[in-house]
Amino acid sequence: MEAQTIVQPEKKKSNQDVIIIKHLNKSFGSNKVLVDFNINLEKDENLVVMGKSGSGKSVLIKCIIGLLEPDSGTIEIFGRNIPDLDRNELDEIRAKVGFLFQGNALYDSMTVRQNLEFPLRRHWMNVNQPEVNKLVQEALDDVGLKHTINMMPAELSGGMRKRIALARTLILKPEIILYDEPTTGLDPGTAKEIIELIVAIQKKYRSSSLIISHDMNCVRLAADRVVMLIDGRCYAEGTYDSLKKSGDPKIKDLIE
Amino acid sequence: MALPVKTTDFLQETGGISVFTGRFFKEAFKPRYEISEFLRQCFVIGYRSLPLIGLTGFIMGLVLTMQLRPSLIEYGVESQLPAMVGIAIVREIGPVITALIFAGKIGSSIGAELGSMKVTEQIDAMEVSGTNPFKYLVVTRVAASTLMLPILVMISDAISLFGSYIGVNINGITSFPLFYTQVFNNLGFSDVLPAFVKSFFFGFAVGIISCYKGFYSNKGTEGVGQSANSSVVISSITIFVIDLIAVQITNVLNLN
Amino acid sequence: MAKKTVNTIKLGAFVLSGLFFLIVLLYMIGKNSNLFGPSFILKAQFEDVQGLVPGNNVRFSGIQIGTVKRIKILKDTLLEVEMRVDKKMEKIIRNNAFASIGSDGLMGNKVINISPSGQPAPLVAKGEVLNARNGVNTDDMLQTLSKTNDDMAVIAAQLKSTVQRINNSTALWEILNEETLPRNLKRSAVNMQLATARAAAMADDLQAIVSNVKNGKGSAGAILTDSSLAMNLNEAIAKIKGVGETADELAASLHAVIKDVQQDVYNGNGTVNALLKDSTMVTKINSSLDNIQKGTHSFNQNMEALKHNFLFRGYFRRLERQKQREAKKTMAFQEQRPAPADK
Repeated sequence: MEAQTIVQPEKKKSNQDVIIIKHLNKSFGSNKVLVDFNINLEKDENLVVMGKSGSGKSVLIKCIIGLLEPDSGTIEIFGRNIPDLDRNELDEIRAKVGFLFQGNALYDSMTVRQNLEFPLRRHWMNVNQPEVNKLVQEALDDVGLKHTINMMPAELSGGMRKRIALARTLILKPEIILYDEPTTGLDPGTAKEIIELIVAIQKKYRSSSLIISHDMNCVRLAADRVVMLIDGRCYAEGTYDSLKKSGDPKIKDLIE
Repeated sequence: MALPVKTTDFLQETGGISVFTGRFFKEAFKPRYEISEFLRQCFVIGYRSLPLIGLTGFIMGLVLTMQLRPSLIEYGVESQLPAMVGIAIVREIGPVITALIFAGKIGSSIGAELGSMKVTEQIDAMEVSGTNPFKYLVVTRVAASTLMLPILVMISDAISLFGSYIGVNINGITSFPLFYTQVFNNLGFSDVLPAFVKSFFFGFAVGIISCYKGFYSNKGTEGVGQSANSSVVISSITIFVIDLIAVQITNVLNLN
Repeated sequence: MAKKTVNTIKLGAFVLSGLFFLIVLLYMIGKNSNLFGPSFILKAQFEDVQGLVPGNNVRFSGIQIGTVKRIKILKDTLLEVEMRVDKKMEKIIRNNAFASIGSDGLMGNKVINISPSGQPAPLVAKGEVLNARNGVNTDDMLQTLSKTNDDMAVIAAQLKSTVQRINNSTALWEILNEETLPRNLKRSAVNMQLATARAAAMADDLQAIVSNVKNGKGSAGAILTDSSLAMNLNEAIAKIKGVGETADELAASLHAVIKDVQQDVYNGNGTVNALLKDSTMVTKINSSLDNIQKGTHSFNQNMEALKHNFLFRGYFRRLERQKQREAKKTMAFQEQRPAPADK
């Protein structure tokens, strides 16, 4: 089934796509998770991919960052096809693409500072200590958790951990940020704060964001454009409002 | 559950560990080298294990001496006690007991640590942060345990011999110089070197198995516990198997 | 950062202490093997090194001075042992010292013992071959002991059966207990002596008569001037003289026999032999001897076997191989048995 375009995005089409995915297939055994999936992420937009849990959203985002290898299809980021790249080339791309994990994936054995320093020192090998300190402070400032710098992740609350994880993602000033279920496991209040933070950051750094979520608040507040992932395919695409008006039972089911 | 019960499981496990070992050698000798993480792991794996291994070594030496004494008295060769204990400790008890304690402490901690990192996507996070998690987590840990165990064995031997000296002096009086002359006069290079060499293999086995179990941990917290458990069980069995092979090799090479 | 440095220092201390003990261990062992101190080579040649291996200790008068470095086979009957010996011993060991292979306790490792000979001699030079002396080898000792044990077992078994037979033989005991035998022998000897003495006296008388006759003295002289008669008389006298000499000899040998018999009877052994020497003289002995010969047929064989066992070991093997000939031999023995008595 071809992607069903219900409403053209209202937002003016920007000059370039940073991520272009074509004919992506991925299956685990006999379970076809992604079937001939096509999507593109434009510069400076917040794209939300919606879908039920188990619909292959996380698989999609992991294919994009190169954690999973697709069975077929192309994933182009800045014009380079991810499955073709070797580790070093992949690292170059990853330095420009932030990834916020669903479970935060903070390093338990490290302090907040070490957590933030880690990607910095890994990707930018020639960075000196004062510069690192400055960037760490700046990133913590962005998420409003300066005081936690010497704490261990275990000492933080769920929302704080999510912010720290976000700070760690932001510290490299990525051009693209991939969010994997950013509001999962948080209470509605905290979830809202996080979404607002995501939007604010997107504005501040002018980065492109691809958000995987099934949280309607998230979609409503953050999405410039929404893609509905149903049965491994791109079922529908449009703004939140346009999708909400849709009479398609599957879309309605997902939105409610 | 910790041990593979079915033959196919067993073969799969063996094959998996073999592939993992191959990958270790492939990755270990290619840049980039994670020197500072390696040193940190040496500290954690080696130095932090010292109190435990020192204590068990001391008790082993003491108890072995006291247990052997009655039998030796029966044969009228009580004066050979230091020589016998010395040979037993240096050749077998020191390396094997130390390796087993090491497997218990380090095997479970590596299994659990890597397992939980796997489960909470920390390993993926590292990958995304421009780090080869295999190099950063596995190579450093395996190298550290391979190099630290022989050193622990040596220190444990020394402490065991001291324990044995105290054991000898509980029921009789032997001056330290006499004890030490008796121990060293009855030791040969063929006692020390095979034991020293095999402790590298013990260390390597504990490292590689624990990392394998942790690295391929199943999802969920249960998977973490299982990883830790089977790390210890399989490492311990492997230590005995290596010990068995080592004794055959030393026999074939005529080193005793 | 400071904490990291402290950890690195701790790690360094930990690694060094481990390596330190390894080095101490290796050094101590190396010191015992004289690997590190100055040393020189001494050699000794043996036919058999009895399980000596490189690394075994070398001792000088019981003091550890070095180790065996290498064992070379020079030829099929000669092995050369190279020893690495403490340099200091160069000024002590003399070149007439002996090297022998011993062991450290009954079950312990083999060691080479170098012992001074006590005689003045120049000091050893590097690579000098010392005189070898075969020490007591436990293996050889045990082997010899085991052979001796086997022999002893056979001997004991045979002795046991012999003694049993002797104990069970009433005839033999009768002879041994016989007290009249030596007395009879003595009396015979006395009779013989008397006879001899008489014969001698008779001969003297005859000679006196003959000389009287020759000189023409007495009434019979005329008759006896006949030369043919004189010749006959002379012959007769010579014969009588010969008889006397024979009797003398007989008496002497009888005397010896009696002495033997007396001694044997008192000492309680060898009586059988004594009897055999003189069996014709006493019928009782004769009959007893017959009894022995007939009754204890295998006794002879046993005695023979016993004798052979002391002298030659392969008696039984030979016995089996030459069963038939042996049987003949036994027959011959039986016939020969009375023979010494006739002598």
